[in-house]
Amino acid sequence: MHIVVVGLNHHSAPIELRERLAFPRDQLPGALARLRSDVGLQEAMILSTCNRVEIYAGVPELDGTIDRLHRFLSEHGRVAPDGLVPRLYSLSEPESIQHLFAVASGLDSMVLGEGEILHQVKRAYEWARGEGATGKLFNALFQRALNAAKAVRAQTAIGRGCTSIGTVAVTLSEKIFGSLERATVLLIGAGKIGELALKRLAARGVREIRLMNRTLDRAEELASGCRAVPVPLTALPSQLLEADILLTSTSAPSYLVDRGAVAAAMRARRQRPLCIVDLGVPRNVDPAAATLENVYLFDIDDLQGLVDSTQEERRQALDEARAILAGKVERFFSWRREEISSCLCSGPAAAP
Amino acid sequence: MTVVIHTICSLLSYGAFLAAFVAGVLFLIQERQLKRKTMGVLFRQLPSLQALDRANFLAIGIGFGLLSLGTAFGFLGAGRLLGRWWTWDPKECLTVAMWGSYLALWLVRLRATLRGRRVALLSILGFSLVLFTFIGASRLLSSWHAYL
Repeated sequence: MHIVVVGLNHHSAPIELRERLAFPRDQLPGALARLRSDVGLQEAMILSTCNRVEIYAGVPELDGTIDRLHRFLSEHGRVAPDGLVPRLYSLSEPESIQHLFAVASGLDSMVLGEGEILHQVKRAYEWARGEGATGKLFNALFQRALNAAKAVRAQTAIGRGCTSIGTVAVTLSEKIFGSLERATVLLIGAGKIGELALKRLAARGVREIRLMNRTLDRAEELASGCRAVPVPLTALPSQLLEADILLTSTSAPSYLVDRGAVAAAMRARRQRPLCIVDLGVPRNVDPAAATLENVYLFDIDDLQGLVDSTQEERRQALDEARAILAGKVERFFSWRREEISSCLCSGPAAAP
Repeated sequence: MTVVIHTICSLLSYGAFLAAFVAGVLFLIQERQLKRKTMGVLFRQLPSLQALDRANFLAIGIGFGLLSLGTAFGFLGAGRLLGRWWTWDPKECLTVAMWGSYLALWLVRLRATLRGRRVALLSILGFSLVLFTFIGASRLLSSWHAYL
């Protein structure tokens, strides 16, 4: 049996093409059935995420399989083969196996080391198994790939740290307040990046969100999207007393919040810690406020710096991760050699 | 019997103050990481400021309760054995000073007039008083309690 993979990803194809080739969940059973009946695969698995579409195929004989898979994909996406095939990669063993292990570990992802792909591979495998499209070989293959990915993530820095401004803001807040369930967030301004950071915080179950904007209309519009309360800009001093996390994301030319305002607020709030995430450029909060006790002030450069250092750490972990995966791939091959030899040994004995 | 309870409670209270000291040190480390905006290994491994602050507060509360109990039994024991409860023993004086300091620290934290870094620093300072009472008093000053 040969294991091949045919597909495309963010390196090989633009988003327009990836969109057309994607397999929505409800089309998977039909597609998996056709892969086996029309393309002649013995075992099949389709991995379809926003950054990649890949078909993992197990076939007894290779001849023509890759061409048939190309045709299958071009029909599925209604794309002419001439436009599609140059964008596709086709890997046979051992590269196909190495590729799967690397993909599951996040080594092939747009954001190096991201963890969502592990769940996506797991789900895709479970769907294929649910449709009866996988057999002994693929079950072993995917279980080993998932275990290898978990091992790599646990043993190296490949999945550590934060990769976006929003997740950095969440991590920093959580290191101050522990759980965010009792935290109140105040967002000033309606900048895109502030909104993104706010969504990340909201996903962590913050108790209350308040929105402040120059125009109350925009605040109300934003608020309706995410269970938040719009508050007028004039309420800033009193809002500073209640907020635990202050997010600012305005394009105001001068500081909206100066050191004196924060100092006064800290006295009135009896030194209850305040986390300020200033995403504005130019900055919205006087950087001198960082010198106040129990005030933790981060500006966009601080957050970007942490994102960059995460990426650097992950890049440095790449070799180590690859070495672990190489060992795991090798173990898969030796497992399969044993399987084959045990089949060969029992084969003639079963025959008359 | 009173002497046994006195000893056990006092030692346990030292243990609680040690826990408060450790939580205080960890708080200062984590706070420094946050203020300096570094997310190193320490940053990831250490608990949140909130958790450390709460652990520190709890440990001081428990330690203070045990110390009060231990000291009360100490006075009781002294009254019985020596006929007077206060002997101007150096350790007695130090313990009362320590008791007062931790009461002050606990109240300050409870009423939230001080918070965070300063409470952590004071609990570290408080523990140096514990050490001095525990070891220093026996070694450097002549005391009834010279068992070290």
